[in-house]
Amino acid sequence: MTRQQILCWTQRDGLLFALVLLVAIFTFARSRFLTVPNITVILLQNAVIGLIVVPGAMLILCGLVDLSVGSVAVLAAVVFGQAMESGLGLPVSVLLGLGVGMAWGAFNGYLIAILGFSPIIITLGGLAGARGLAEFVTQGYTTYGYGPEFALLGNGKLLGVPVPIVLFVIVLLVGLHLWYRSPLGRHMIAIGGAKDTAAELGIPVKLVPFWLYVASGLASALGGLIVASQLDGAAVTIGTGMELEVLTAILLGGVSFTGGRGSLFGVFFGLLFVGVLSNGLIQINVSPYVEQVAIGAALCGAAALDMLYQRLERLQVPVETEPAEPVAQGAGEAR
Amino acid sequence: MSAAEEKRAVLELRGLSKSFGPVHAVKSVSLGIYPGEVIGLVGDNGAGKSTLTRMMAGTIRPDSGEILVDGEPQEFGSAQDARRAGVETVFQTLALVPGLDIVENIFLGRELLKPGLGNATRTMDVATMRRRVQEGYERFGLGLPDIRTKVGGLSGGQRQVVAIARAVLWGSRIVVLDEPTAALGVKQTELVLSFIEQLRSHNVAVVFISHNMQHVMRVADRVCVLRLGRKVFDGEMSSLTGTDLVALMTGAATSFSPARATG
Repeated sequence: MTRQQILCWTQRDGLLFALVLLVAIFTFARSRFLTVPNITVILLQNAVIGLIVVPGAMLILCGLVDLSVGSVAVLAAVVFGQAMESGLGLPVSVLLGLGVGMAWGAFNGYLIAILGFSPIIITLGGLAGARGLAEFVTQGYTTYGYGPEFALLGNGKLLGVPVPIVLFVIVLLVGLHLWYRSPLGRHMIAIGGAKDTAAELGIPVKLVPFWLYVASGLASALGGLIVASQLDGAAVTIGTGMELEVLTAILLGGVSFTGGRGSLFGVFFGLLFVGVLSNGLIQINVSPYVEQVAIGAALCGAAALDMLYQRLERLQVPVETEPAEPVAQGAGEAR
Repeated sequence: MSAAEEKRAVLELRGLSKSFGPVHAVKSVSLGIYPGEVIGLVGDNGAGKSTLTRMMAGTIRPDSGEILVDGEPQEFGSAQDARRAGVETVFQTLALVPGLDIVENIFLGRELLKPGLGNATRTMDVATMRRRVQEGYERFGLGLPDIRTKVGGLSGGQRQVVAIARAVLWGSRIVVLDEPTAALGVKQTELVLSFIEQLRSHNVAVVFISHNMQHVMRVADRVCVLRLGRKVFDGEMSSLTGTDLVALMTGAATSFSPARATG
């Protein structure tokens, strides 16, 4: 029993433990690591990824994936930039940018969730297509200078907290509510783990993933706009490699890539782990080239541990059920 | 048994027929199922058991004939219709999600919500769901591990019990079990059969479809034998021996005289 409890604990909270350990090491090495300004920097650097990670993790829980997030982000930013250039005004331009993201998400969702196309192929197409479209629209030129109001989105503060962090926390709280307190969390696990069963029990196995793709598109677009605001320009380089960062946080957080298993808290810790690792390595003057290697190693390590847990879980099944049976029969006879 | 006969049938099939092209899978089968009774539905492969089961489950529409629940004629357009009318069918696939625990599976797709504004913001009433399952454990003496155990960690028999318990906890008074003991070991089978006996004492009507003569003879009060789509026998289990049953199923005996069936 104790072995099983340890197993459960490491599986559920192992990442949190690793995160705390990592923070402890960096704090020991650099006293300024665990200070409010540095924590704010870590959160700010990861807020945009964090926004996109929430719907992304839900998609992976359903056994799907969205690889087009970075390209949708740049497309939204570019459409926003072009709209500002043609004098449509700030509110309309922002809505256009967000609308493009939702439309792309709806397109993904329709093809994948409703018609049953392969999620990897369709969103890989989007990864190339949306960025290509962004380059075509701008012809490679970067628009810039959107005024102080738009700058608030990326650089403003609300009660002393940077706006991107506030937005990330709001999205995370909504995500946590849906995941743990509404029936949606269980439904997503059912869709990812046993789709036919979910359909048989009346769970909307097409509509849930459809709206998750729309949410992923919207979150990507919001992320793109935040970066455009921070840069004060809609550069075509926005969102490059974003899909990998999003996937790293989700998979490091222990969500099974085949769906049906995972926790949003784990994903949040995965996001922080990557953030802390890259920030800490820079602080202790490790070459930035090594940082990428370290994140890759952490991901491979997490995958190996996950495999180990699954093996151990499978091994423990007979051990667990054997003693349960005589007890069950005894209870029946006693009646 | 005579007491059961005086009661009104909770589920009544009247002259059900179904053909697939030239194949008459089920030919004019009538059957009454009473509360607190376990009826064994047996037959060789191709006897029409599955077709009859699916008609009761609502996944196949009969070509002709009627299905009555509590004396009311019902049209089963889908599995949901049958479930709504109170007929729950547990297929061999069990419709359980391994990644969810027992409570989550039992309430999957029908989660209880706390009162609140709009469906999007309402939260699940986890405490009530757990309490309801715990009460079910006590009422039926379910031999299952803790209610929070993931279904993926349960044995085959335990999973079967969870699937049947879901039907009963949702208030179904008619439970159709499609081969519940197939591919189970001795202990596992015992778990399922003793649960079926529990159901009988709680006044649930059980249709038990099986290939296994021993299991049918162990739990069934009444047995209905199908052969080539027709009902060839319907009577008390106690009037038959295993040999008689096999003879009926294989067609070695075409029918038993009423005198022998009642005596």
